[in-house]
Amino acid sequence: MVAVLSFEREMSESNLPQKEASVLKGHEGAVLAARFNGDGNYCLSCGKDRTIRLWNPHRGIHIKTYKSHGREVRDVHCTSDNSKLISCGGDRQIFYWDVSTGRVIRKFRGHDSEVNAVKFNDYASVVVSAGYDRSMRAWDCRSHSTEPIQIMDTFQDSVMSVCLTKTEIIGGSVDGTVRTFDIRIGREISDDLGQPVNCISMSNDGNCTLASCLDSTLRLVDRSTGELLQEYKGHTCKSYKLDCCLTNTDAHVTGGSEDGYVFFWDLVDATVISKFRAHASVVTSVSYHPKEDCMITTSVDGTIKVWKT
Amino acid sequence: MVMDSDEEDFVFFGTPIEREEGVSSRKKKALAEASGNLRSLPAWKQEVRDEEGRRRFHGAFTGGFSAGYYNTVGTKEGWAPQSFTSSRKNRAEAKQQNILNFLDDDEKAELEGRSLATSSQFDTFGFTAAELARKQAEKEQQHRQSAIPGPVPDELILPVTESIGVKLLKKMGWRHGHSIKDMQTKSLYDARREARKAFLAFTSDETNAQVESEPINGDFEDLLELPADTGSKPSKSTPVYVLNPKQDLHGLGYDPYKHAPEFRESKRLRTSGGREHAYSSVTKDNFSKSRNIAPGFGIGALEELDAEDEDVYASGYDFGTFVEEVEEPSRPSLDFQDRPRLTGKENGILPGFRLSSNSDHQFQRFDPPVIPKDFEPHHRFAGPLEADRSLYDPPPPESPPPEDSNLKLLIEGVASLVARCGKLFEDLSREKNQSNPLFSFLFGGDFFGYYERRLWEEKQKRNQSKPHMEGKFSVDVPKMTAESRGKILGERPLERSATTPTSSVMPADVKFQSDLSETFTKASVPSGTDEVSKPYRDDPAKQDRFEQFLKEKYHGGLRCTDSGGASNMSEGARARERLDFEAAAEAIEKGHWRKEFTEGCMEPSSTGGMQFTSGGIEQVKSSKDEDLMTKALYPKREEFQWRPSPILCKRFDLIDPYMGKPPPAPRARSKMDSLFFIPDTIKLTKVEESAITSCDTLSLPLDNQQSNCIDEKTSEDKVEVEVVGRPVDLYKAIFSDDSDEEKETSIVKNVENPDKKVQAANTTLNRLIAGDFLESLGKELGLEVPADRPISSNQDMNPSEKEIAHASNGDINILPVHDRSSAVPQRISQNYELPQDIESAREGLQPRENKIVSGGPREDGRHGNVKLFERSAKLHVDNLPQDEKIRKSGENRSHSSSEDEKIRKSSRRSHYSSDSDSDLSSDHRDRYYSRSKEKKRESRREKRRSRRKHSKHRRHGSRDSPEKSSRHRSGKDRADVKRERE
Repeated sequence: MVAVLSFEREMSESNLPQKEASVLKGHEGAVLAARFNGDGNYCLSCGKDRTIRLWNPHRGIHIKTYKSHGREVRDVHCTSDNSKLISCGGDRQIFYWDVSTGRVIRKFRGHDSEVNAVKFNDYASVVVSAGYDRSMRAWDCRSHSTEPIQIMDTFQDSVMSVCLTKTEIIGGSVDGTVRTFDIRIGREISDDLGQPVNCISMSNDGNCTLASCLDSTLRLVDRSTGELLQEYKGHTCKSYKLDCCLTNTDAHVTGGSEDGYVFFWDLVDATVISKFRAHASVVTSVSYHPKEDCMITTSVDGTIKVWKT
Repeated sequence: MVMDSDEEDFVFFGTPIEREEGVSSRKKKALAEASGNLRSLPAWKQEVRDEEGRRRFHGAFTGGFSAGYYNTVGTKEGWAPQSFTSSRKNRAEAKQQNILNFLDDDEKAELEGRSLATSSQFDTFGFTAAELARKQAEKEQQHRQSAIPGPVPDELILPVTESIGVKLLKKMGWRHGHSIKDMQTKSLYDARREARKAFLAFTSDETNAQVESEPINGDFEDLLELPADTGSKPSKSTPVYVLNPKQDLHGLGYDPYKHAPEFRESKRLRTSGGREHAYSSVTKDNFSKSRNIAPGFGIGALEELDAEDEDVYASGYDFGTFVEEVEEPSRPSLDFQDRPRLTGKENGILPGFRLSSNSDHQFQRFDPPVIPKDFEPHHRFAGPLEADRSLYDPPPPESPPPEDSNLKLLIEGVASLVARCGKLFEDLSREKNQSNPLFSFLFGGDFFGYYERRLWEEKQKRNQSKPHMEGKFSVDVPKMTAESRGKILGERPLERSATTPTSSVMPADVKFQSDLSETFTKASVPSGTDEVSKPYRDDPAKQDRFEQFLKEKYHGGLRCTDSGGASNMSEGARARERLDFEAAAEAIEKGHWRKEFTEGCMEPSSTGGMQFTSGGIEQVKSSKDEDLMTKALYPKREEFQWRPSPILCKRFDLIDPYMGKPPPAPRARSKMDSLFFIPDTIKLTKVEESAITSCDTLSLPLDNQQSNCIDEKTSEDKVEVEVVGRPVDLYKAIFSDDSDEEKETSIVKNVENPDKKVQAANTTLNRLIAGDFLESLGKELGLEVPADRPISSNQDMNPSEKEIAHASNGDINILPVHDRSSAVPQRISQNYELPQDIESAREGLQPRENKIVSGGPREDGRHGNVKLFERSAKLHVDNLPQDEKIRKSGENRSHSSSEDEKIRKSSRRSHYSSDSDSDLSSDHRDRYYSRSKEKKRESRREKRRSRRKHSKHRRHGSRDSPEKSSRHRSGKDRADVKRERE
């Protein structure tokens, strides 16, 4: 019985990207976020050195650097057609970039404080940003207006993370809430988790939200009912913004830890399936390949690592 | 210039050339100066000029013009020599020159001691004394021959008499060489510092590193705050030692390492050897801070180094910095504080002496006494009301009442009074009626036993009513009263509701709520403080201030600018206290809320240091249970209305759910929020498996059968359906014009729905008028509204009222419907309050009125109101209780989120998954939208407004409206509706 279990475990473990495929070096200082692009062929990273870098993680090549931010860049996202970038950071601005030329097409100003996260919607027509000023703002990429088209300011504290679906805007805040703004029905649903929410990410089927809370717990919440489905513990997350995400099959939950480890949990029974020391310092961000078993992690130690099975 | 005088004797050709461009202007200037105009100029701009206005040379030193008289040394009078005396004749009389010849007048005055000076009595600093001594010495020196001219130095030194100030200070216990300081504050400060020290010593084990760097910082601040006072115990007025002597050649205040702090350390190492420790501890802090800045990338020249630039990921980053900054400067250092004293001692050893290696004097430390757990630092006097104790009093034996009915009445009266007013009353009456034989029962006379029994009974009665009220919403929710609900919702309890239900006889003079803001202020906290929370119990004065603060905070109107704070407090202290209070208030509120949410099962656990006296019945559960409760509590789902902007919808390629609706009134954010503490969106709290129903459409619990029936019916007549969750738009209610709104709504209706416009308008108006009329009627009759109406009744009407509303259009055929609906509430809530019972009783008797009553709280019920109006116009005197009901329901309407409550409660009983439920509601809404699109475009907002107006109208009293005639048509209209339904 035990043997069978361990065998099963090994089977599941073998699917997980745990081998270091390449290390992407180039950022000076902490790398704050790394994101795969839509098809997973490229990735973007941003960090304290005020640059955004475009990489080919599979070949380990640095392609391009985008410089314009005045302070650290906290989040970056890319459109599904890979033509535009959006980035935000400590300079309270949101930069709308052209990928190929590396020029800033537009700057969105309006946040009263640092901007923590930013995302495009599906059509790349709207950008939603989440800021330390307790608000989320939606910006129009189509018009030339630099005013936000919508401000969602019901949060009580800094909004750390934002997710978009086709019809909803979801934000996670330090006030412990995950708020879903449903555009289709004009409704705001607030799920209070009781703990500061660091980062939220959606399951690939769109039914669940994974929220990383500052009590070193990841919480999986059913989106339709607001029910707490599972809690994932074992890692350390007490003071930094650490990303978390589900694997592309939604079978596992993964996230970084402040001690440099990367954790894999089983989605259903919340056991730690695997953990390994990925970085020397805080693992700030994890991003999972949309199709393959590949993952990138970033750390304060200035490196981005690509993990494969 | 010369020609001025004989100008008329000559003939001039051409224009005279102005030789000196300055002539006239100079003159002007001179004139101006003479008249004092130039005086207004600052001194360095003023010029000295002669009569001609020319600048005068002023000697070499000043580099200016004009000295003396026309650049001579003389005067206008000339150079008058002293009167000449020939030395030849009277040589001996040669004038002896003395000092007076060379002194000015003021100097002479000074010399003669006629100048203004501090009298010796008040000569604190000894200036006058020194001056006197000098003069004295000078005088004496004149009379004494000496080889050395001038006063002997010793003579210049004079013992200074003690000034009156010094004398006074000495009397107050001051000694020379000590700083003048409030001894009390110092001791207080010392005590606090000791405490902190103890705390530090306690925590130092865990956080060694922190202690090393931080306390120094803290003490540094202390040094700044209390200069020259921190170190030595008997504080000296003279600084024992200079912290940082200036030894370099830089200008004062110049810090060469300001932008290169890295070098400071090396410089320090190079230079200072002896006092290394002290210096390093100060600088280290700065240094370590700068080290936290992220490596690699500096900041621009124009940017300032902020907290943002610090490297949070660096290992040594102190996350607690911000918190600690808020606190008052705490944490004295252990070593640094002692250092000045120590060094002082070392240096101060007298030559020839040596420090003994062991001293006899030893500090003996005692542990603080153990305070018993149940100790309250606040003495509570036994109040006159000994309700708690009397609960457990054993009942005195039954004893027969006296035959004399008068005496019996007297005894009963006294007993009830004593029960109400406390023992004090008994004592008083005992004293008063010592000689009165009638009151012998007070002194253990004949009927003492009976009196005792009565007293006990009365007390029991009172106690029953009281804990009943108090423990109500901590134990079980169905027993919620309007009062408790109001508490939750943050309304100030109406004056009438303060009385307990036992006193059913209300005073005749009913005061109507005049101020809206009073009704809607958050009363939960001020009232809550009394029993729930006394965060500053140790400090009664502070507690008082805190309560005052709460009162002001939730007063509703404008906050008064200088709120609370003792007058003797500094501005900073006051601000700090205010922050404290805010935090405390918030914590209390939170605790309050949580308590309510968990229905009293859980103690507020996360309130930190707050002390809450639990409300009696609540049991402290084990922490495990609490944990479970918190788990059960979270995640908590709430729903709000949110309006996406049209362009956002467009960009997301979605249909705007609010398309065609006028924009919502500006939300009362920030400022308004702080003025009136009202939730600007109606909250729907969903507990666990509860269903969500939309609050802005029909906020009705969707029972299967009922929702179906609602849907059916709503499709039939739309006028009634628009029940809108109405946020308390107080601002609107106060400032906007009522009549405009009314017309607007009716106009909109007219335009949108030509079919039903007349009917709609009429019904609306009728409702309004009826409401007004009833209001004024009630006022005239001096009726009061029993406010403690149980919420259960209100809520239970919810599912039924729809039907009723529709049913009310018909006449008799409604009865079965009504019966069914009335059965629902009875199923739901087991605990009926008194009013509800009465209501249901009346239900049987007067079905029509009851129908109206239950329809009251909703708009739909206004049909009923209209009808009622017709009736009451005729026999309003007979229908008093009924009017009462209506008005009561009208008041209930003003409870902003009563719907919220309803939902929450009703959801408890409908065990639907929220999925299906929300589907239902959205379905419903969709239908509603489509309907409203085609027929009535009237916005929710407008509905709200009209409703709002409506309730406001009631307050205003009846208004003579021109549409009165239409009222009479309402009957016909209803008939129309009825026909339509059939």
